[in-house]
Amino acid sequence: MDDTVQNKLTFHHAVMCEEVKDLAPINPAVVFSIKIGKVSCFSVFDTVPEKTFIYHKWFHKDIPSTNKRLTVQPPRWATYSSIQLRETDKGPWRVEISDRKGNLLHILRFSITD
Amino acid sequence: MSFFATIRWQDIVDILLNSYILFRLYVLFRETYVFRVLTGLALLWIFQRIAVFFGLILTSWVLQGITALAALIIIIVFRNELRSVLQAKNLKAILWGFPQKSVPTTIQIITDSVNALCKRHIGALIVLPAKEDLKDMVQGGIPLRGLVSKEMITSIFWGDNPVHDGAAIIEGNRIAEVGVILPLSYRSDLPSQYGTRHRAALGLAETTDALIVVVSQETGKVSVAKDSKIKKIQSNAALINILQEHMGVYEEENGYEKKERFKISIAAIVSVFFITGMWLSFSKGLDTLITLEIPAEYTKRDPRFEIVKASVHTVRLDLAGSATLIKSIQPETVQVKLDLGNAVVGRNVFSITQENITLPPGIFLRKVVPSVIEVTLDETIQRKIPVQIDWVGELPKGLILSKINFDPEKIEVIGGKRILENLSTIYTEKVHLDSMKTSGTLFANLALTPAALKIAPGSKDKIRIAYVIKPRIE
Repeated sequence: MDDTVQNKLTFHHAVMCEEVKDLAPINPAVVFSIKIGKVSCFSVFDTVPEKTFIYHKWFHKDIPSTNKRLTVQPPRWATYSSIQLRETDKGPWRVEISDRKGNLLHILRFSITD
Repeated sequence: MSFFATIRWQDIVDILLNSYILFRLYVLFRETYVFRVLTGLALLWIFQRIAVFFGLILTSWVLQGITALAALIIIIVFRNELRSVLQAKNLKAILWGFPQKSVPTTIQIITDSVNALCKRHIGALIVLPAKEDLKDMVQGGIPLRGLVSKEMITSIFWGDNPVHDGAAIIEGNRIAEVGVILPLSYRSDLPSQYGTRHRAALGLAETTDALIVVVSQETGKVSVAKDSKIKKIQSNAALINILQEHMGVYEEENGYEKKERFKISIAAIVSVFFITGMWLSFSKGLDTLITLEIPAEYTKRDPRFEIVKASVHTVRLDLAGSATLIKSIQPETVQVKLDLGNAVVGRNVFSITQENITLPPGIFLRKVVPSVIEVTLDETIQRKIPVQIDWVGELPKGLILSKINFDPEKIEVIGGKRILENLSTIYTEKVHLDSMKTSGTLFANLALTPAALKIAPGSKDKIRIAYVIKPRIE
């Protein structure tokens, strides 16, 4: 293994889901009904060289909604953030996943509908 | 004083130009049926305006209808007359020529006839009585009472005509008698070249106050006998002078020309007054106000810049003018234009002045609201922006939209730099979920917000979405 890769936080994948159970996303999707009350962003990092943290920055119609700081630990880590849904939350959303320095790792796009 | 102050040089040109057109119509069509009908139409129009002024609704409506119909009828019924007047004349004659009335006078006809007889050496005797009656002095004669014409006179004295040896008596514009035998003069001092015709002419001139024109058959020369004298005539002008003097029509001819000149002058004055009246009725009637909302137009914008914001999009103009002109205003003839030639990126403030506003003639600006417009310009750039599908509605129960792939994922957009730098997503138009039961493909249009954004040439404007629908795990 290359040292540089070993020493760098590596994003593996991320999904939006209805909930997370036993560190597994349930019903990953791109559209969620407001009726389920909650939506989660589940992200997996397969190389975590040291304890650090990442950000889940939530945007509703391009307006920042919340910014969650999540800890990730070596050697692999999965983490998630959730928001409670209200009637006014309908519409297009995105979650920007970035490292502690703010480098953008991934963007997830989804919608909250009826 | 204030009335004259409102008259522009364009108004003067307007009145003079139309007066001249009306005057030319008179010159071209006078003494034709078309002119009489045109006069009738003008009267109808005047009556219609009077009816409108007094509020006679039905009368004005009927007159308006008749006038419109009559104008159409003129073109159809008098198309041949119109065509003949316009075709027969060249451009100069139509624009500024004065057609002369070419009705030849009796004197002119006699002179022309005498010329024709001279050239052919046809002998002739033409008697023009004055005040005295010739009945007792002449013999024979066949009454003719025909209108004087060159053809008639030459044919009377034609060699094969039974009456050619006699004299023709012309009274007014008619040939009264032909084949008339005149008394001969017995004078012994006549030159030898004078024949019987000359002697007959002198014979009548000795006994009456008539004037007799003689054409010699042998020499083709013209002589005139009057008051016991006979003399040779050397030119047409001399003959015309003698005839005019004898018939006393010289003053009358001059009078005719004077009368014509007077008529033309009156027509010119009437044209100016008529058109001035029309102009006043159109442009200086009751002062009426109107308020129009006119969109502001921007000109000479640097193509690198984009208008991203304007404080207003329309300008309210309070306009004044005569009721007729105000009613006839078409919104597209009123324009508010702002020159962006010197505008810079960022906020620009423009004052709206009279120079920025185009109005139809005769309409005046009273007020502009607002008097200032703020326009924000931005530099135009091109940028790739991620696309996001804007889902709405509700999937059928028990189903989830688990995955989508769409193409293109990013779209090239042209717009203001400040807008595009802050724009992170281009959304599609609303895509409804309600009827989606199984996986499939659909297309969605882009909803470009703000509207000033444009999709770059060559970039797709529709998004192809492949979606996967799965049962929801409860």
